[in-house]
Amino acid sequence: MTALLLVRALRDPDCVAALDARGWNSLIAMARAERLIGTLALRIGERPVPGAVRAILTDARADAEREARQALWEADRAAEALAGLGLPVVLLKGTAYAAAGLSAGQGRFIGDLDILVPRAALTEVEHALIRAGWEWVKDDPYDDAYYRQWMHELPPMIHAGRDRMIDVHHTVLPLTARQTPDAAAMIADALPITNELYMLCPEDRVCHAAAHLLADGDLAGGLRNLWDIYCLLDGIDPAALSVRAERHGLGRHVRQAQRLAAALYGEGARLTLWDRIVAARLLARDGWGRERRKLLGFAFYVRSHWLRMPPAMLARHLMTKWRKGHRPV
Amino acid sequence: MTVHRRYCQDSPDAIASCALDDMVLLYHRSSGQTHMVISPVPEILATLDDGAAWTAGEVLGQLARLYDLGAAEEALPQVEAHLVELTALGLVRIA
Amino acid sequence: MNHGLSLKIGPATFRIGSAWRQPVEALARLYADYPAPADGIADFTVRLEPAGPFRRWLRPSIFITGDHGLADAAPMSLAHGLLAAEMGMNLQMALGWRRHLLLHASSVEKGGRALVMTGESGSGKSTLAAQLGERGWRLMGDEFALLDLETGAIFPFPRLVSLKNRAIDVLAAEAPAGRMGPLLAGTAKGDIRHLLPRSDAVERMNEGALPALLLFPRFGHESDVRPVGQGEMFMRLTQASTNYVALGEPGFAALTRFVKTVPARAIDFPSGEEAIALVDRLWAEWA
Repeated sequence: MTALLLVRALRDPDCVAALDARGWNSLIAMARAERLIGTLALRIGERPVPGAVRAILTDARADAEREARQALWEADRAAEALAGLGLPVVLLKGTAYAAAGLSAGQGRFIGDLDILVPRAALTEVEHALIRAGWEWVKDDPYDDAYYRQWMHELPPMIHAGRDRMIDVHHTVLPLTARQTPDAAAMIADALPITNELYMLCPEDRVCHAAAHLLADGDLAGGLRNLWDIYCLLDGIDPAALSVRAERHGLGRHVRQAQRLAAALYGEGARLTLWDRIVAARLLARDGWGRERRKLLGFAFYVRSHWLRMPPAMLARHLMTKWRKGHRPV
Repeated sequence: MTVHRRYCQDSPDAIASCALDDMVLLYHRSSGQTHMVISPVPEILATLDDGAAWTAGEVLGQLARLYDLGAAEEALPQVEAHLVELTALGLVRIA
Repeated sequence: MNHGLSLKIGPATFRIGSAWRQPVEALARLYADYPAPADGIADFTVRLEPAGPFRRWLRPSIFITGDHGLADAAPMSLAHGLLAAEMGMNLQMALGWRRHLLLHASSVEKGGRALVMTGESGSGKSTLAAQLGERGWRLMGDEFALLDLETGAIFPFPRLVSLKNRAIDVLAAEAPAGRMGPLLAGTAKGDIRHLLPRSDAVERMNEGALPALLLFPRFGHESDVRPVGQGEMFMRLTQASTNYVALGEPGFAALTRFVKTVPARAIDFPSGEEAIALVDRLWAEWA
């Protein structure tokens, strides 16, 4: 069994009418593992389902509502902390979708707060957040140096009073990545949501989500990211998207994301061999919610680092991580 | 000194409160946080309930009509400090 | 997964999958009288997985996970598989249950009213509840008490009672051997043996009761009874709840109602017999 069961239920929620108990148990375990249970609950809506399922979906919707409320509060707090700096604070990912009421935000699991700020303002932002009660999560000199030298964000910070994390990005991909998206253009063209908070323009939202899914990650939990992309593509002008993606050096990734989103959630698409390998990795989830094909997962872990780092640096990073007992899951 | 800074409540139904025998609980709806407070914090928040923007001095003036707060020169910095703390928690905003 | 079992405990249903036969067999024996989920659909999936490649066969070692899991959970020996399954179910409840306010507390019922006892591990709340459950009370649960968000009633979660170290002999002297599980020696918490609650606890697992008294027991001290203020009660109960924050305002409303309507006492006791005498006295006084 693969996560195709979950993908079908999201694409065509009417098909859940045919599920038996085993099918429901599998669907629910997969949706939880992929952090898509809230989205699934909203897609199924008021369609008739067994009583036990109704209770689970109701819980999932309530959790998603609370997630959104808390995410918006974190954004509000960050805006307040950074208000004096006169900077645009650009919300990224789930918080942006929730704040702007986008379909990609409906039922979405939202973890940390992700914001994008100009690179030149990083130090000021860091200080303002610390003044407002955020602190560093870990004091590991290697990780800290790694983040500062090579990553696209500050090391993660957590708010001491609220126990919520913030990731401050200054661009959308690591500095070691071969693609170099134009972060300044993303910030310049961002759209206001409220007086203080902004989000990326529609084309940049897709570019960022595609970069995050295909150029950055090891694809773990990628079905959720691909669902975001599917929703974000709705109503977008393909020509404008293509121009924007090329400008960020993400043309290939955005085109692949479009094909995968159409193939899994939409009307279908012609897939390349590489697309099929990526799709197999995205769907590698069984009816108990377990990730399958561990070797494929490991290959993607190495690949995701290879995409971001020159090989010698990768070897150094993996050695340092492995000596500390860190393994890909 | 921030004597002239004005404060207002977060929004009209931002808080659900519950008085226990030895303190007051405040449930802040937008953050989902619960705060345990004692006098004069509930009274300060009640003053802001009318939705207007108040200075610390005005809040103190209102409270002094209802409660015995002692000398104004000692009470004012305390009220101001509470307002600053409530602002940091997001229960009160600077108008 | 290779081996599986579904069961219902109170309002919650579980689907447990295991890479090994033994934990599922041990569960099936002790939970034989518990119902299966009504339509075969479980609230939670629990998985007992090999802790690493080859660890299914070679020095078998269990990683406990499921719908909800902790990445850094310590692996457990296959000999403790029953405990692993229990911990897996607890983990799902602690992290995923949303239909009640979940209190880390034991509870027993008499005459349609519930006594709730909360405290840290080692406070004696679990042993005390198990003993009361053998002496005319209905055991509602030794680990989690479920506070209904609408009615304020306490609902049972009558899983197997987890007896630790000295408590094993105390209960073995009161309960028939047929209701005792195997001795699990040398777990992270010492020796553990499970006790199957009496049949009334299982048969009435859907039946709630309004709370009449909250106790904060503390084992190993001279007998003493102290009142507990509502503020302290509220704070300790939020600390004893794993889903208070996740429930938001309904959780706040339910817990404040509980704190304002249920009398609370902290009790110290040097032995089980004195604890039971204290409970009887306070119950007569307050309930």
